[in-house]
Amino acid sequence: MKFNRLLSTGTLLAAAILTTGALHAQEKVVLDYWVYSDFAQGEALKLQQSFISEFEAKHPGVKINIAGKGDDDLLTGQIAGAASGTGPDVFMNSTSAGAALVQAGALKNVYEDWMAMPQEYRDQFNKDLIAMCTPKPQTMYCLPYTGFGSFMFRNLTVLKEAGIDPATPIKDWNDWVAQMEKVKAKGKYGIPDMTQVWGSFLNIYSGIAEPNEWGADFEKKKTLINPDKYAKTAELFVKMKPYSTGTSINDQATRDLFISNQLAFYINGPWANPPFEQAAKNSNLKYDWVLIPGAHEGKNGGVQGYEFIGVAPKKNAKLAWEFAAYVTEKQQMVRWAAALGRYNSNQASLTDPAVASHPLLAITYKAAKTALFNKPPFFSGVYPNSYWSAITDNASAIEDGNMTPEEGAKKLIEELNEILSDG
Amino acid sequence: MSARVTKTTPHYLMLLPFMLLFAVFFLYPIVSGLIYSFFDWAGAQPTTFVALENYTKVLNSRNFNKAASNLLLYVSITVPLGLTIAFCLALLVDSFSGFWAKFFRSAFFMPVVMPLFLAATIWRWMYAPNFGLLNTILGWFGFESVQFLNNVNTMLYCLIAVDVWVSAGFNMVIILAGLKNVPKHYYEAARLDGANKLQQIFYVTIPSIRPVLFFVVTYSLISALQVFDVPWLLTGSSFAEYGGRANTLLFPVMDIMGRGFGAVKFGQAAAYGFMLTALIIAVTAVMFALRKKVGEV
Repeated sequence: MKFNRLLSTGTLLAAAILTTGALHAQEKVVLDYWVYSDFAQGEALKLQQSFISEFEAKHPGVKINIAGKGDDDLLTGQIAGAASGTGPDVFMNSTSAGAALVQAGALKNVYEDWMAMPQEYRDQFNKDLIAMCTPKPQTMYCLPYTGFGSFMFRNLTVLKEAGIDPATPIKDWNDWVAQMEKVKAKGKYGIPDMTQVWGSFLNIYSGIAEPNEWGADFEKKKTLINPDKYAKTAELFVKMKPYSTGTSINDQATRDLFISNQLAFYINGPWANPPFEQAAKNSNLKYDWVLIPGAHEGKNGGVQGYEFIGVAPKKNAKLAWEFAAYVTEKQQMVRWAAALGRYNSNQASLTDPAVASHPLLAITYKAAKTALFNKPPFFSGVYPNSYWSAITDNASAIEDGNMTPEEGAKKLIEELNEILSDG
Repeated sequence: MSARVTKTTPHYLMLLPFMLLFAVFFLYPIVSGLIYSFFDWAGAQPTTFVALENYTKVLNSRNFNKAASNLLLYVSITVPLGLTIAFCLALLVDSFSGFWAKFFRSAFFMPVVMPLFLAATIWRWMYAPNFGLLNTILGWFGFESVQFLNNVNTMLYCLIAVDVWVSAGFNMVIILAGLKNVPKHYYEAARLDGANKLQQIFYVTIPSIRPVLFFVVTYSLISALQVFDVPWLLTGSSFAEYGGRANTLLFPVMDIMGRGFGAVKFGQAAAYGFMLTALIIAVTAVMFALRKKVGEV
């Protein structure tokens, strides 16, 4: 009796083991796909889910899990995941974090996969960005994905109250300061404090500097900032201080000031538009957008940056690459840009008639043409952690009157070179 | 001998799960952190032994001096101020009974259970330059708007106010528990000797709850040395930039995060972290030594 019981239990156990084994054999290949949080909500998520469903339909047995992450979570997760082997298979991040991810070993060299793609596919992308993803021969770290160029939102109610005709373009920095003065005379604010965040600083500095006067030369360990142009920018900060809100562009209070008709000019990327668009529907917000004025007529400010899609050096890297290639392909990018008005690196998609007429995309496209890159060169070297705070601290100190712009510029260059040499 | 082993073995076995968790989650990170601090390590890349270079780089860095001086100022104000406020609150709550005692205890404890993100957001609004509560009040009295979180003269004090607000409730509850244990006849004797309220506090209450106060001071010191969340949230930081205007709110833990995840210098971050841990252990040891010296063990 006991033997029979033992036998039946053994049989059941064996059957269970076999069944589990069979189930394992049928298990899907699961790819973890990490994106910025705004890609994982609302319309953007619906579109991403469509891309995923289409890819899964073409690849039976493959399942893709999308997860939205905040900027810092995305970076820490990818870096920590690279060290532990637990990170995502395919992910996006900003090109400005590219060098950090290369150094952490989070990005697979996809050069061979890229070269294996048809020429027609490769020709779709912005060539400059492909070059940036390819910092040395036969080494390519990413596929350029989405992107941005910053521009200036103008509150038309505030301008009207100040007696400014928005139809007349702002010629240069002096003209712009004169408008801020009029705005302040009506008890309103001109602009947020542009010295608090390095990206915010760059929006103004780029109105005078050229692309080779920003970023760092990691081989020579020298900053590329032009001290004379930096001093001119700092002079503008001193002039703008009386008209500033004192809050950062990242501060919710700043956006609220714009929405509540207290602030005339707000500079940011296209992602800042949805709350303004909503406010225009719900309240009396009237606004438009223009390129950021530069130091002289014909020159514009602004920052351009890009998000790439990368593949982790893990066992399913081949499949992850195929997915990355699929979502960045023209048809997907046309749908993305048309639905959301978001700029991307697929040049072919931007010229598609379904996309070209989108107003938000049009201003982003224009802005990106004249703006400076946020943290170049993207995949070459990691900026030491105090590099950016040195810039904002210096600009703030000049704005506060602790140094003249010339003294500040000299000190900044010495300090940045020292920071780069120390690593 | 074998009988003793048999008798104590179950006790050790019962301790085993804790010891295992302690080893995995406490000892291992400390030891591995110490090892990594001697290497140039960037995540998955090969590591290189650099001896004490990470330590010297951290100690000579621009941010280290600023973070250390900020921390010193912050600790020297926050800990005594926090203790004084918590002590006063405890005395106040202790003077009530029934509903009001419960009400005040809950009200003062509320910030402790509130998520720090929410607390920092509320205070950012309070400090907002144009329509924040503080500036609205200043406006009633005809004062100009103050940019509290963008002014190097006010930023640190704004942070201290938030941190004291967040931690006062916790310290108050601990001190309150101590107050409940002071025998009532001590006060009766003091009153018979003619001691007024203030004298009762200094000569009866404080000496009676000295162990509790030592605990609160030690705990506050350790927390203050690890300050991170509130200044990070108040300055709206990211790994690329943190510390606010002129690095006025830059503290060691923020710098450790920035070195690790911003600049991918995990060796330096580990060295920095290890130095901070050593400082916290040293401060705790000094507090224990002081406690023994004054006869409160």
